[in-house]
Amino acid sequence: MYARSKRYPFGRSISRPVIRLLTAGLYAGYPAGCLLQLLPATGAGLWAHFAGLALIVVAVGCFLSIAMSSVQRQAQEVDAQLDERERAERDHAGYRAHALFSCVVLLGILYIALVSDLVANGKADLWLPQGYEGWNAIFWGAMMLALTLPAAVLGWRRGLPDVD
Amino acid sequence: MGVHNRLAVFRAERSMSRKALADAISVNPQTIGYLERGDYAPSVELALKISALFGVPVEHLFSLTPFVPLAQSLKDPET
Repeated sequence: MYARSKRYPFGRSISRPVIRLLTAGLYAGYPAGCLLQLLPATGAGLWAHFAGLALIVVAVGCFLSIAMSSVQRQAQEVDAQLDERERAERDHAGYRAHALFSCVVLLGILYIALVSDLVANGKADLWLPQGYEGWNAIFWGAMMLALTLPAAVLGWRRGLPDVD
Repeated sequence: MGVHNRLAVFRAERSMSRKALADAISVNPQTIGYLERGDYAPSVELALKISALFGVPVEHLFSLTPFVPLAQSLKDPET
């Protein structure tokens, strides 16, 4: 998925440091914001609650900026619209992204499995996703991760120039 | 083992911009930069397209061994 516009039919060209900043903002800001949202919205927790909300808004802003970028276009474009170098890079990024996403999902399932057991036996009091809010946060996080990971891999490759 | 090329020299000789060359062989202008820097090795099809555009055999443009620098080949035509 990427956003096209009349002004930028191939996505907005952004430098490598900017795409790195945006992906870091998304991948750090969204989970941090969701964790702060878990705090009770009373007393001192109220400010943490608002800070969490602000972090989520920033993360969504980063997601939208990535979606409108040329890097996201390269990661999601159909074969006919890319040249052979772009296709080779996209395929490599897709392969890496698939491996990374699989690791994240498997670690998440492992966490839920282990913590469920510990909580059920009363051995630990750790967070588990419960109810609509918990699973909704995980769903949107997983969706943004799945959609932007190939672009993030393209942006974080080493040894390539920042600009042409 | 990388693929060495003289793309920048041939392009400069003909006063072609990266965009003009990219348009002529239907690639992204950034790809020309990647090729010239040696960051990307072209497919046989792309190498043949570029050499046909410049009207030279493909081995004049691409090589598995480094090309002799232009100044040195002018000084010593035997190399």
